[in-house]
Amino acid sequence: MTIIAGCDVGSLTSKAVIMQQDKILAVEIIKSKAKPQESANLVLENALTKAGLKLPDVQFIVGTGYGRDHIPFVHKTMSEISCHARGAKWLVPSAKTIIDIGGQDCKVIKLDKTGNVSKFIANDKCASGTGRFLEVMARMMNISIQELGEVSEKSKQPIQFASMCTVWAQADVVKYLNSGFALEDIGAGINMAMANRVSMLVSAIGIETDICMTGGVSKNSGVFVSLERILGHKIKKARKLDPQLAGALGAALIANDQIKGRA
Amino acid sequence: MIDIFLNAARTIEPNAVSEEKQHGKLVVGYTCSYLPAEILHAAHIIPMRLRGIETHSLEIADSYYGPFICTFPKCLLQLASQGSYHFLDGAIISTGCDGMRRLDECWRKAGSDYHGSLPSFFHYFDVPHKRESYAISWFIEEIRKLIQHLKTHFNVKITDDAIRQSIQLYNHGRRLMFELDSLRHTEQVRISGAHAFAVSVAGTILPRELFTEQLALFLNHVKNTNTIMGKNQKRLMVVGSVNDDLELIELIEQCGAIVVSEHLCFGIRNEDDLVNETGDPVAALADRYLSNSACPRMFGYFSERLNLVKEKIQKAHVHGVIMQNIRFCDLHGSENGLMEHALEALGIPCMRIEREYGSLTETGRIKMRIQAFLERIES
Repeated sequence: MTIIAGCDVGSLTSKAVIMQQDKILAVEIIKSKAKPQESANLVLENALTKAGLKLPDVQFIVGTGYGRDHIPFVHKTMSEISCHARGAKWLVPSAKTIIDIGGQDCKVIKLDKTGNVSKFIANDKCASGTGRFLEVMARMMNISIQELGEVSEKSKQPIQFASMCTVWAQADVVKYLNSGFALEDIGAGINMAMANRVSMLVSAIGIETDICMTGGVSKNSGVFVSLERILGHKIKKARKLDPQLAGALGAALIANDQIKGRA
Repeated sequence: MIDIFLNAARTIEPNAVSEEKQHGKLVVGYTCSYLPAEILHAAHIIPMRLRGIETHSLEIADSYYGPFICTFPKCLLQLASQGSYHFLDGAIISTGCDGMRRLDECWRKAGSDYHGSLPSFFHYFDVPHKRESYAISWFIEEIRKLIQHLKTHFNVKITDDAIRQSIQLYNHGRRLMFELDSLRHTEQVRISGAHAFAVSVAGTILPRELFTEQLALFLNHVKNTNTIMGKNQKRLMVVGSVNDDLELIELIEQCGAIVVSEHLCFGIRNEDDLVNETGDPVAALADRYLSNSACPRMFGYFSERLNLVKEKIQKAHVHGVIMQNIRFCDLHGSENGLMEHALEALGIPCMRIEREYGSLTETGRIKMRIQAFLERIES
């Protein structure tokens, strides 16, 4: 029985996927701790408990995410780009363009015919276009990120935000709240601003269908639908697994490759 | 043996320069590779390319420059205003780009706001953006104006013979650098990219006699070393805007690659041609420096630059190209985009990085991109 695992320590959440060859045994998502090693230990431990396994049962573990270099138990580290690409390809086999929006960055990855990364682009040192942007805006509106996605579905007249800068948009949210604008229109405006920012990255790299979305923000229906509208293409939903787990899943699949390579 | 180069590349006031200063030698800083350093050398002045390393905040510079300006001239202004260039006897500002041109105005103004921050010799050196005959005539005139200013300010002689001797010395250094660079092109590399780059940067800092003497010794050492690098490693080239930051090259190499070639604002690209050692030395300098279209500050020579990069890629057996530019660098920002498109079409993997200058760079994000780029090349 070959057990492999992927551990993705991100800035906001840490994820783990435990697999037995192509079968997923257990998954876990936790809020990241202050220290990456603490997050890694906890998320893997939780996942192992769910699977009824212990650390020595796992033959190969690949680490990824911003905290990858501080995970004590990994056999190999890989960049988030490669892991998300691999995970997304498993979730949506026809994917050619992957939009990954995480807590602190946003990446657009293009795959070649064989599923290898042929090009990627990532945003730089700016919160707009990342999960952090949504988190800040949701906090301003006193709702959860989940609700931020849901409320915008009811909007008939989304507000157009003048700036995609997190600081300026925050000031705008306060202005619109104080002026009595509907919560759903403000929420829809935020999701639209986010989608606009991300669409710039997608345009810079060039769209090739099918498109799929990974990362925590892909679960926000408001951003998802806005992005589809701006890009003029349908985005394929990952149905086999929570798309937030794509990085950890990709890491586990790469771990599987490593084991196969050894055999 | 590499220590003298590393010390020069990692500090704005290297030990070797401080020692010369103590013996009464003058030091003049300059901002652009299009300044013929031979002129300063012929005046018995140490020419030193100004660098912004060791900048940890931009509290002063940000109040002179707007927010949408490359951090390199800002770092220079910050260091000047906080007195870090106290050892300079003079500074020469050139039109490398618009941000650097504005350093002339900002530094002059900061000189009145921060006492002692403006060296007594402060010269604006204009450089044409084209190399037609009228541009060369103008450039010759600019060089002669610089010579005159140096003569009157420092009360020094700058004879044609002295310039010729300086040209010979600089050419000798260039030949040694070509030789060192060629040792990176072979399958078995004998010098890391970081060390080779340290030598290039040190060449713009150290007194030229010392640099040439040390480079000859170092070259001999590298040729005879048994240490072989680059086996099973991806061979990368780094191109783009100003970078004198060894840490960037070190970061790339820590990710498992070896940097075998550069085409950067600092480095070997500025040493590509020799200066004619016969005839009018000022005309020879003007001809050589202006014929170098390696920097996108020279308008209309993209194809030449692209061919130059392609030639280097072939020569050094490069697997991938990292294109970096400092944020808000108009010249390299657009040039990198064009070059990426052209090279990718030839099947050469490229990755663009936009970053802040030097120690202001956030290494975590850059490391992730480099790692992902290497994984892309390997897949």
